[in-house]
Order: sequence, then C-alpha cells, then structure tokens
Amino acid sequence: MAEDVLTLTGIVKHYGGVLGVGPIDFSVGKGEFLSLLGPSGCGKTTTLHIIAGLLTPSAGSVTLAGRDITALDPPRRDMGVVFQNYALFPHKTIFDNVAFGLRMRRMPRAEIQTRVRRMLETVGLPGVEGRLPEQLSGGQRQRVALARALVIEPTVLLLDEPLSNLDAVLRKRMRQELRDLQRRLGITTIFVTHDQDEAFEMSDRVVLLNLGRIEQMGSPEALYDMPASRFVAEFIGEANLIEGRVVEANGVSVWLDLPGGLVISATPSRPGFKSGDAAFALIRPERIELSATRPESGGVIEGRIAKRVFSGELMNFEIEAAEGIRLLSTKPSLPRFRDLALGQTVWVIPEDCRALPKEG
Amino acid sequence: MLATGRGFGKALLAPIVLFYGVFLIAPVSFFLIMSVFRYDALLLYRPDLTGENFARLLFDPFYRGIIILTLKIAALTTFFSLLLGYPLAYQLSRTRSAWRGVLLFLVVAPLMTGVIVRTYGWIVLMGSEGLINSLLVWLGIIAQPLKMLSTETAVVIALVHILMPYMVFPVFSALASQDPNLERAASTLGASRLRTFTEVTLPLSRSGVVMGSVLVFTLSAGAVVTPTLLGGKNVSMLGQQIYDLVLHTLNWPLASAVAFILVALQFSIIFLYLQGSRRGARAT
Repeated sequence: MAEDVLTLTGIVKHYGGVLGVGPIDFSVGKGEFLSLLGPSGCGKTTTLHIIAGLLTPSAGSVTLAGRDITALDPPRRDMGVVFQNYALFPHKTIFDNVAFGLRMRRMPRAEIQTRVRRMLETVGLPGVEGRLPEQLSGGQRQRVALARALVIEPTVLLLDEPLSNLDAVLRKRMRQELRDLQRRLGITTIFVTHDQDEAFEMSDRVVLLNLGRIEQMGSPEALYDMPASRFVAEFIGEANLIEGRVVEANGVSVWLDLPGGLVISATPSRPGFKSGDAAFALIRPERIELSATRPESGGVIEGRIAKRVFSGELMNFEIEAAEGIRLLSTKPSLPRFRDLALGQTVWVIPEDCRALPKEG
Repeated sequence: MLATGRGFGKALLAPIVLFYGVFLIAPVSFFLIMSVFRYDALLLYRPDLTGENFARLLFDPFYRGIIILTLKIAALTTFFSLLLGYPLAYQLSRTRSAWRGVLLFLVVAPLMTGVIVRTYGWIVLMGSEGLINSLLVWLGIIAQPLKMLSTETAVVIALVHILMPYMVFPVFSALASQDPNLERAASTLGASRLRTFTEVTLPLSRSGVVMGSVLVFTLSAGAVVTPTLLGGKNVSMLGQQIYDLVLHTLNWPLASAVAFILVALQFSIIFLYLQGSRRGARAT
C-alpha cells in the first residue's frame, strides 16, 4: 500500500467513565478504500466521528498526512463527510447545499458556480441546482450529499452508512458507482457499514470492530479465509463451527479430535495451540465435498440431508451428523448435487479446515 | 367502514365546535355588532348604525396614543422575550444533562403561579421602598430611590418575565427536533460555530421563533393586570381601556370598538409575521 494518509494511534473514548471504544490503531493508505465493519454498537460511527473531529477522544491521537490533528476543530480538518441520513440542509437549494463548503472557504462566486456544476455532473445529477432536498428521491439526495462532501476536495472522504437508507436494488447499484467514483478521483475513503457484503464488495481493506475493539483487519479475502476468532468467522460469511479438542500441534498444523471420533488436520488461526486445548474447527460451506457413496479415504463425516434449498445457480444443504452436529454445505447446481434428495445419507469431506481457539 | 370512521371522527369534534360557537363566536359577533351602535347613557346603547366609536378611537389623540403604546409595549416585550428566550431554549435543546427534564419544568413553573402573584412580586422588588431601591440606597450608589414602578419599562420587564415560557417552548421544540447531523455537516464543511448557527440552526428554528413571537405579542398586547398594577396612571393599554369602559364607564359600544381594534391589530400582526416568515423560509 502507498504511504499512510491517516493514522489512528491508541484511540480510546470513554462515555461517563464507561469504555465506549478502544484502544483502536489503524492506518489508511493514500487512495485506499477502507471499511469499518461491525454490528450496531461496535463503535464504528464513534470512530468515524473521532476522525472527523466531531468527537474528542479520551486518549490517543489522529494524524493526517504526518500532522497531529487530534485537537483540531472539524472545520479545519479538510474531511468530507456523508452522513447516514445525508443531512442535507432542508432550507437550502441543491446548489447552495453543494456550494456550502466552498462558500465557507470564501471562494469567488464564479469559481463556485463552475465547481458545483462540475461536481453535480460527476455524481450524475446535472440540472437539479434549483431544487430543494425534499424534491429529490433518496438516491438523488445521497448523490447530492456525496457531491457536497467531494466538492471541497477533501484529503479523506468519510462515509457513515451512506447506502443503508436506499432500497435493495439501488443500494447494489450505488455500491459499484461509489467505488468507481472513488477510484476515478483516487480519494482516500473510510466507509462505515454493518453490511458485510457491502464492505467486501467495495473495500481494499476491512477493519472489523466488535464491542469497541478491532477484532481483525485485513483484505476481505484474509478475513474470510483466515478469521482470527469465532466472532470473525461467524460475522463474515457462513461458518460451520465444530467444537473439538487439540490432539497434536506443530508449527504448521494442528490435529483436532471432533465428536464422533473424527480426527482432522487444520490450519491454526494463531500460534500457541497445545495438545488438550479446546478449539473450534471452522469449515466454510463451499469447502465441503459431498458424496452419495462412502469414499475410500478417511476423515469423513457421515450424515443425512436435513434441508435442501435450490436457489438457481446454487444448492444449499444442511446435513445432520452424529452428536447433533449440523453442517451447511453450498454446492454449484450441477446434476450430481441436484440429485441428492432430502433425507438421503451422504458423506462429508472437509477440504479445508481452520482451528480457532475456543476463547476469544 | 372508512366512511363511518370519518363520520365518527367528525362527530368527536362536535363538543369543541359547540363550545367555541357559544363562548367565542357568539360574543365576538356580539361586540362586532355593538361596536357600530350608539352609546346611550340610559339604555347602554341604541341600535342605530354609526361610525362614531371608530372615528373617536382613530382620531382622538388620547385613544391613538393608547393604540401606539400598546403596540410599542407588545413589540418590546416580544423583542426582549426572543433575545433572552432563544439562548435559553438553545441550551435546553442541546444539553445532555440529566437535569434537562427539571430545567424544562423550571421554565414552565412560573405558569403555575398566577399573573397577579408574580406582578405583586415585581412591586415588592421595584417599589420606591422595594428591594432594589433599598439595596442601591444602602450601597450608596443612589441617593434617592429610582422611580421604577409606573413606568413602561416596569411593564415590559414584568411582561417579558411572565410570558417567557410562551417564547421558550415553541423555540425549544423547533430546536430540539433539528437533526443533529445538520450542524455536524456544516461544521465538517468548514463552517465556524457562528456560521453554523446563522446558516443552519437559526433559519431552521424559524417556525418556533414565529410561533413564540405571535404568542408573546398577542398576549402582551391584550395584557390588563400587569399594566394596571405596574404601569399605574402612566401606562394605559387597550386591554385596560376595554375593562374600564365595560365595567366603570359602561360605554359598551366604545368598549366593543376598542376590542375590535385590538383583535384586528393582533390578527394583522400575526398575518404579516406569517407572510414574512413564509417568504423568508422556503422550506420547513
């Protein structure tokens, strides 16, 4: 990644003595699209407000392009913010909304005219200058909010769940549009969302927050393939988690003893697994091979198809195995999987398994 | 189902319509008619149509003076209520204090004591032997007690105090219902706190300011007790005139004309104010 534009170091926020957020440390590279992802109450909006200067952290520092801006007021931070409800000024026309930041910078009138018009074209909304926000649709308001934040040419663009008030179809389209625009302008962006699909589709890197702390950060692939904890595994994508015990561990892999006497090898999520530790085996639904006949190799789980859902290009199965274990399996909609019937006995072959510590 | 539902809703309005019909529309119509009757010392009035009551009010310097003074006191009261009430309403709407409920209650609390009690309170404070004068004389700041009672200033001060809740509440609710993200957005776009206030907060609280001003203006223009007790002989307002004419002089036709003028003034001020504010704010 390119040089870091924005860095958060040891950010902590207390609310009346109660720890709200932190400590949080991360950096955003120039031109990077970074998502703050997490369930509601995880501290993602608080973190965004601290970056924008709308909240003062109890401890820690925020650095923008090498300069400590922790104590700087929002008007002097040079950050464009798009709020969840857009926060367009209801009494001002679209032109005046977009021009607001430029007027605060005392830019000449003609220059403002040109920039506002060009920015409205950039977000695909030419010709609405004279209207009031209430006369626009939700999607249009969202674009105006984006134009208002971008027209001041901020160093960093902060987006607080900007798509969550749009309907599903528009939301999907806006994801791509927003990402394309961000790439075209090359603007460093921090995007707050609770929607994993959104974060994955758009981001270079995802910071996953839970209870005010960073659970894990990395590329979407890294979070999906190598979750550091049970929370990450379950929050991101579908996860089959089977509780077991470590029977053997070396630096590269561990062997897990699962209920039903099955012993499988797994990649550890972190070093330090010892024989006898309680652990979870994580198997992603698409990393499961299903067979209608007993395979010759070992390391298989016998089960019965308890649920069979056809969704066009995919087949989703739920397999009931011994000891009350239920496994989700996603297969392409090919004849050999379509032929599997409800109640039929199948053999499950985990192709890739990851060991997660039971605690944390 | 829907039709009967709507009919039922209308039926529920019947008592209030009846109430206003009997106790508001009827008496107002009565004094509207009375105002063009002729005064008669024996019969109270004679039903001949005449414009002499209105002519007297508009051309007699005594009555014209009263009309102008009434407007002046109402305007000053509205102005100072807004000047003092807006910051209070703003703080109340923005505080995160656990005491917010209590503070709001304190704003309304004065309404729970009567106007007369509070007006007497001002007499105790402002009389020539009152607290303020005694204190100032004792401190040696003044030699002679200041004349505070029986002045327009005393009436305006007391009216501002008495009518403050009517200003604070509408402004408070307009401010409290503002989306806090609007001020945040202005601030991230580079607006100082002052610019954020003048560009966003103030224009969006216009409806509350209009409502509060209309309430305070009409209530102060119609005040009777406060100008009588604190204004003495020097302050004479339209409300007092009506009171005098009805109960002491027994000139009902003239009293009706005064009442008509008062209501007309209040309505036209409200109308102008609403027109002006509608033109000013295209939204909200």
